[in-house]
Amino acid sequence: MKIVAVTACPTGIAHTYMAAARLEKIAKNLGHEIKVETQGAMGVENKLTENDIRRAQIVIFAVDIEVEGRERFNGVKVIQVSLQEALKNPEGIFAKIQR
Amino acid sequence: MLELLTNLRKHLLTGVSFAIPFIACGGMLIAFAIAFAPMTPAGPDFSHTPRLKLLWDIGTLSLTLMLPVLAGYISYSIAGKPGLLPGFLGGYLSAEIQAGFLGAMLVGLLAGYLVEALKKVPVSKHLRPIMPILVIPIVSGALIGVLMIKVLGGPIALLMEHGTSALRSMSTGNNVVLALLLGAMIAFDMGGPVNKTAFFFGAAMIREGNYQVMGACAAAICTPPLGMGLATLLRKNLWSTEEREAGLAGIVMGLIGITEGAIPFAAADPLRVIPSIMAGSAVAAVVAMVGGVGDHAPHGGPVVLPVVDHRLMYVFAILTGTLVTAILTVLLKARAQKMTERRDEAA
Repeated sequence: MKIVAVTACPTGIAHTYMAAARLEKIAKNLGHEIKVETQGAMGVENKLTENDIRRAQIVIFAVDIEVEGRERFNGVKVIQVSLQEALKNPEGIFAKIQR
Repeated sequence: MLELLTNLRKHLLTGVSFAIPFIACGGMLIAFAIAFAPMTPAGPDFSHTPRLKLLWDIGTLSLTLMLPVLAGYISYSIAGKPGLLPGFLGGYLSAEIQAGFLGAMLVGLLAGYLVEALKKVPVSKHLRPIMPILVIPIVSGALIGVLMIKVLGGPIALLMEHGTSALRSMSTGNNVVLALLLGAMIAFDMGGPVNKTAFFFGAAMIREGNYQVMGACAAAICTPPLGMGLATLLRKNLWSTEEREAGLAGIVMGLIGITEGAIPFAAADPLRVIPSIMAGSAVAAVVAMVGGVGDHAPHGGPVVLPVVDHRLMYVFAILTGTLVTAILTVLLKARAQKMTERRDEAA
């Protein structure tokens, strides 16, 4: 499955990037293709292009704050979870997707 | 090159879109307060109307905040979150050193590109987490602050000082040339150092019993927002919905003599709008000067009519200047649009 994700937390220094790494790792293990945009204190990094979003079957928002540019994802199926969940139980998120 | 310019425009427009509500709120509240307070030789009189004074104060604050917001979000558009701090600081300082909205636009761009450059500085993995919370804010904030206060602040103060004495020496010469210059100055940066120099000069001349200099300024003050408002009505298809709304607000602000109403247009398209409003204001000022218009209050626009000499000429001056600005803007905008269309066809 082709997946895109956005991670963001209020401080945007550690958890944003840890969650991104977790999601990437688990997705790869499960054989998904994933690209994760981080919205941290440095601003938006690894920005999802229009093409990335159009091709994606699902978007994961692992965020504790509002997603920047949410309108970009209009028309794509979205699953929103807290950042904690992405850190503690990323497998659960992917299990939810596959159902 | 073209890509750089398109990006620049995008960043400026992002800043403008965040700043528009601040201009609308500030301009309208000030306009409302002035409209209902009696106009006296010392300006609008709020001594018997504390509620209007309150609105005036809030409006002034909103206009002051507009500069940090403009600079902050230009910088934010370029560099994301870390861009906000130096942009806000620079914009606030732009108000402090009277650099006006042109100063705020400039510092917003500088702050954004500075942060972009700082982000690219290679650092070890262990230092990386403290870059966005400590290093970038401190370094960019300090650099922009020093730049504004030490590098830009001095010359601006000097410019205003020399500008005033230059205007004073000119006031004994040809009045028409003086009016032309004052009008162009009033429109150039709308609340910035050049505008302030001309305005304070006009106000100072009132105290010396020369009302004609302020008469010329008063006509020039209101034509930028009035002209832009008229331009949005003349050719609706040249403007976005947002701009057409800003145009309506501009007309109201223009009637009350708040030049800032034209800032959304000038900041979005400076190279076409600023020359147009300068031409219109210069024409208005010259017509007012030739017509012998005198203004006894340090304020401009139709709202000062009760304290103006030669009222018909005053109204005529404002109408002429407004027309010049509106027609010039529409012509320049239409030409630009045609050129873009042609380029799109060629591509």
